[in-house]
Order: sequence, then structure tokens, then C-alpha cells
Amino acid sequence: MMNEVLVVGSILLSSLLAFVSFVAYRRSRMRATLYLSFAFLLWACKKFVELGHTALWIRRDVGNIVDALELLILLLILAALWKR
Amino acid sequence: MNRRKEIFQIIKQNPGITFRQLVREVGTGIGDVQHHLHILEEEGLVVSRRLGKRRYIFPSSFERDWEKIMIALSTKTRRKILLNLSNGPKTQSELAREVGVTQPTISYHLKFLLKLGVVEEKREGRGTVYTLSLDPEMIKRILSEYEDGIIGRLSEGLIELLNALVMNDDE
Repeated sequence: MMNEVLVVGSILLSSLLAFVSFVAYRRSRMRATLYLSFAFLLWACKKFVELGHTALWIRRDVGNIVDALELLILLLILAALWKR
Repeated sequence: MNRRKEIFQIIKQNPGITFRQLVREVGTGIGDVQHHLHILEEEGLVVSRRLGKRRYIFPSSFERDWEKIMIALSTKTRRKILLNLSNGPKTQSELAREVGVTQPTISYHLKFLLKLGVVEEKREGRGTVYTLSLDPEMIKRILSEYEDGIIGRLSEGLIELLNALVMNDDE
């Protein structure tokens, strides 16, 4: 139960940060903020997938999906630093 | 019809006016101003754009400048610089003193504002002075009403953070 609460908290916070970064992009047109926005959004997706690890249809692929999302998040952070 | 013309004239003379200021200027009911403003927007004569908690109204010819204005006002330091420049031309050291930041920080932001086309530089004697290339009264009007919500403040924090990274890189 505790684990689910923490994951939901993480999803809410990363969604908020994705929105904040997108507002920052709309105001400043800095591409780095857009990359960060996608990274936070993917973080929220990753936590959502992790939350669904018990569901039968996803259980088999959860590891691969999470690893792929983690890789994408890291690439986006790298792009944000490169394009800042 | 005359009321609508009057509202359009006020907006033309005061680009960047907020709805609240407009109601005060016209001196009539909110509903009446809202109705005429809606028609003026539908006719494409005026546009209104949101920044922070406020919505600013411009004649439609100002729309191309809006993006520049929005980017220029995206951080507190830039807003302070623009507010200072709206009072007249300033040198970098004067701006640094009045804004309360270091000269390299002013230099970084001025370079950005010059590139954006909202500030102009002019050599005067042995120094360089900076002036606004936008209407100073419009900048003062927008900044006098400017207020940010929580999301706005957080996003500004992110922009400042990324700017600080770039500034450290430049130094």
C-alpha cells in the first residue's frame, strides 16, 4: 500500500514538473525546457507502468518498457543540457 | 457604436492595457466593455494575450511584438532591466547598480535582449548606452499590472536556473 502511495505521489509531482517546464518553454522558447518537459512526462509514464506491474497484460514487458523509458529520460536530460 | 470606437481608441493609445484598466478608463459597466471588446476581437481589430495572472489587450498590429515581449519579460532580472530602461537610456554599470546584480549578469541579459530586438545600443562618448526599442509606456503599463501565480513562479525559477547555467558557461 505504502509503495502505491509513493508511486502516485511521484506521478503527480512529475506531471506538475512537466507542466511547469512546458509553461517555461511557452514563456521563454528555450528548447531545453521543452526537453525537460518531455523527460518529466516520460517519468510520469514510467511510474505509471511500474504501478501496473501486477496487471497481467503488462507484467511480462514491464522491465523492458521501464528500461526504455529510463533511457529516453536520460537522453532528454542530456539534450536539455546540450541545447540550453 | 460610439462606445466601441471609444474603447478601440483607448486600446490604440494604451497598448498592453488590462481589462480592469480599460473599464476604469471607459468609466462604464464591466458587461458593456466586455461586449464591445468581444466584438472588436471578433472583427480582428484587437487581440488579448495572457501573461502571468493578467490578460493584456493590444491593437492587432501589435501581435507580432507579443512573442518578443513575452520572452523579454520571462524572468525577474529582465523585467527589472526593462523597467529601468523605460525610464530612459542607461549604461551597463548604471543598470547593474539599479537592478542590484553584477555587471556580467547585466551584460548577459542585455545581449539576449539586443538579439531579441527589444533593446538598442548606442555609442555615446566613451561608453555605450542602452534604450528600449519598444514603447516605454507600454512596458511600464504591463509591468505595473504583472503578477504571477504558483506555476508561473516555478517556471520562472526553471528559466533562471537554465540562464544561470549558460551565464556560468560564458564567464
